[in-house]
Amino acid sequence: MSTAVTDMVVREIDNTQNDPAKRAPLVVGDHDFTSVTETVCSITEQPRPPRAWYIAFGFSVSLLGVMGLMIAYLIFTGVGVWGLNHPVNWGWAIINFVFWVGIGHAGTLISAILFLFRQQWRTGINRFAEAMTIFAVMCAGIFPGIHVGRVWVAYWLFPYPNQMAMWPNFRSPLLWDVFAVSTYATVSLLFWYVGMIPDLATLRDRAKTRTRQIIYGLFALGWRGSHRHWHRHEIAYLLLAALATPLVLSVHSVVSFDFAVSQLPGWHTTIFPPYFVAGAVFSGFAMVLTMIIPARQYFGLNQIITKRHIDNMCKIILVTGSIVGYSYAIEFFIAWYSGNPYESFAFINRAFGPYAWAYWIMVTCNVVVPQFFWFKSIRGNLLIVFILSILVNVGMWFERFVIVVSSLSRDFLPSNWGYYSPTFVDVLTFIGSFGLFFTMFLLFCRYLPMVAMAEVKTVMPQAHLEHGHHRGVGDYHGDIPHAHEPGYWGNQTSLTESPTHPVEPEVS
Amino acid sequence: MHLTHPSQIFEERTRLDRLGRIAARWSGIVGLASLGLTIVWSLYSAGGLDHFYHSYLTSFCYFLSLSLGALFFVMLQHLTRAAWSVAVRRIAEIVAASVPLFAILFIPILFGLTTLYHWTDGEAAAHDPLLQSKSPYLNSAFFLVRCVFYFACWWILSRYLFARSLQQDKSGDPSLTLKMEKVSAPGMILFALTLTFAAFDWLMSLDAHWYSTIYGVYYFAGSAVGFLALLTILCFLLQRSGRLTNVITIEHYHDLGKLLFAFIFFWAYIAFSQYLLIWYANIPEETAWYLKRQEGPWLWISLLLLFGHFIIPFLGLLSRYPKRRKTILAGWAAWMLIMHWIDLYWLVMPEFSRGRIPFHVIDLGCLLGIGGLFLATIAYIARGRSLAPLRDPRLGDSLTFENA
Repeated sequence: MSTAVTDMVVREIDNTQNDPAKRAPLVVGDHDFTSVTETVCSITEQPRPPRAWYIAFGFSVSLLGVMGLMIAYLIFTGVGVWGLNHPVNWGWAIINFVFWVGIGHAGTLISAILFLFRQQWRTGINRFAEAMTIFAVMCAGIFPGIHVGRVWVAYWLFPYPNQMAMWPNFRSPLLWDVFAVSTYATVSLLFWYVGMIPDLATLRDRAKTRTRQIIYGLFALGWRGSHRHWHRHEIAYLLLAALATPLVLSVHSVVSFDFAVSQLPGWHTTIFPPYFVAGAVFSGFAMVLTMIIPARQYFGLNQIITKRHIDNMCKIILVTGSIVGYSYAIEFFIAWYSGNPYESFAFINRAFGPYAWAYWIMVTCNVVVPQFFWFKSIRGNLLIVFILSILVNVGMWFERFVIVVSSLSRDFLPSNWGYYSPTFVDVLTFIGSFGLFFTMFLLFCRYLPMVAMAEVKTVMPQAHLEHGHHRGVGDYHGDIPHAHEPGYWGNQTSLTESPTHPVEPEVS
Repeated sequence: MHLTHPSQIFEERTRLDRLGRIAARWSGIVGLASLGLTIVWSLYSAGGLDHFYHSYLTSFCYFLSLSLGALFFVMLQHLTRAAWSVAVRRIAEIVAASVPLFAILFIPILFGLTTLYHWTDGEAAAHDPLLQSKSPYLNSAFFLVRCVFYFACWWILSRYLFARSLQQDKSGDPSLTLKMEKVSAPGMILFALTLTFAAFDWLMSLDAHWYSTIYGVYYFAGSAVGFLALLTILCFLLQRSGRLTNVITIEHYHDLGKLLFAFIFFWAYIAFSQYLLIWYANIPEETAWYLKRQEGPWLWISLLLLFGHFIIPFLGLLSRYPKRRKTILAGWAAWMLIMHWIDLYWLVMPEFSRGRIPFHVIDLGCLLGIGGLFLATIAYIARGRSLAPLRDPRLGDSLTFENA
């Protein structure tokens, strides 16, 4: 078996060709159902993970430890250890919160919206992306939690009846955030888990040890793969997709409200909700690419997560990056058009003021970098895609930095201006949050099926024996079904031939 | 379950033929006559001409939005390499190709510039520092240049995509599909920018003091809703007339219904975003725009949009049932077309008529006039041409797919 896996690692097959008459295969190589199961499951079934995994895990846990130390230091000393000052009372913590929530947007977009759009290539990457969503939301949740100052009463964020008769302000978007993010985390987790049940059952059935049998069996919820199970599973999945779709838009819209409901120039502008959502999807896909390019290579998944998947993700980054660029342009234009001196000042200050360096990093990474994805040769070069995907997230972090800091540091009154610099605690907490993200991610790679095996199999040609008329949700890939049957095109052999039927006379 | 075998399409009636000539002639006559009568009426009634321009702009932006929605739809299908929509794409191409009509219909607006846009009044601008600061952008000459540019972009894009698609009808060459895909990518960016600035110029600058960065997206969302509703109705009527009876299946209606539903939601999301942010920040120079729309009976129109353009059709289209019943779906589509017009009326009219809904027979005249010419143009473009891209390489997929 291990030789079979190594063979697959070597062979990278290009399936990015574009022939309108033929659907490109989404699983390449000589895969059949058994080999897909084997490839995906064997990663978790090896008695011990490869050495590189240990090294990566050790590194990630150390980073996580750094975050733990920094948070402990913060709690025991007070928020003064951060670089917050007056007027910049929102610093890295809020930037990191928005950054991580944004990262968490690709997963649900892939699993919900692309599902409703019948984008079958999503099957190769959705499990992976959804897992990242959940880990990113975990990272995001930490920052507002420790930002409240008195961490031990962070639960006051939730409205609950209490003898102090004290309630959070229901008109505050910060409270809406609590609802939006916790709903998103819950639904994403549920969605991820429901989709994973059949695969967990596969792992259970293949388990060689008693522990694995019990643990995977517990989470597989007695899945037997009967028709009735599948039927209910698919309905549940469809309903969850429909419910999760508005959530993809709502979470980052509410995050944008944190800024946009204020009267602060640079924050208060009506395009913020859709612009934030586009930016979130943009950064989320970039993070998926950053993680998936090495992972598919390393775990021998590059015939299941193919070059076409990478190509498609690059295109989504191009689209969402262009929407972000559009929003920058419209914001800038309206800042001038408004005739409001504070508005125009806020934007000129961004581009030429003390934080101009951050602004231009943002513009370069978010507007210029994705433009490279216009070129197919670049989308096909995994190393360049990997580097560009990291740059996109550098840009998206700086976008939040520019929004939060540049507007706060210079508002209406020059006597109220200030300059913000982070402390080492800010920096190390942020770096440490990557430790949490990577730790969770590595555990996921080791213990859970990284690819939605059951779903991938439905888009393989073997799933379609083409008997009878019935086909599933927008099922088509490879050749057009039935096209080879006699009489499909009438008397012709294909559409591309000249018609044999009498041409109707042109009507003048 | 209705399924089409591709061989059936060669026995299909795929052209308008006589119906096209009749439709073009009669809607053309109705359109010209009602425009003519409306102009005469407005010339001879007090304040009529002013109202004519306001009303004309409303209906102009309304029908143009349908045409632009069609252009968006066509480019989107190419960009996503969509197969399901091939059977209905030609209808969208025909609607999109009607854009040159609007370049001609724009001429009356030029005559009414001073009535419509107070920033054209040099006298007023001289005493208004805000208008002065905007004058590098908001001046008649630059306005005109921009309009020419918008129409040129839309015309070239719609023309190119329509011509390639017609060429494919003859040659069946799959590489034409790739060409259309290539052009649609930069085309979409051009489309987004031109539509945004057209909405700023023609609608947002009616109140030149007011501004909203999401305004272009709002007009776009309405356009998409309007066009998807129109496409559903056109499919329905064509099939009723015995055309494309096998090419368009219930699956296409189902998908159109889903997209219509999605864009109704999207429109509401954009409308809500704009309203909430302006309401919350409560800055007088921004709230002024909404206050006009909440004064007197306008409040009822605002609420009508909330319910009629969002909540009621949202509930109506939520389930699978109405999307798979042609008559019901066409009914909702007609409802949405009416709501979309009311939306445009609500964008334009409160700027000129505070606290009073100035509904007048002139409004109907403009609606019928431009609508008639719009239909006539569509029928004229469609004449003698196949109503479906019969040799598109993805047609087979489009005919046989199913919503499981």
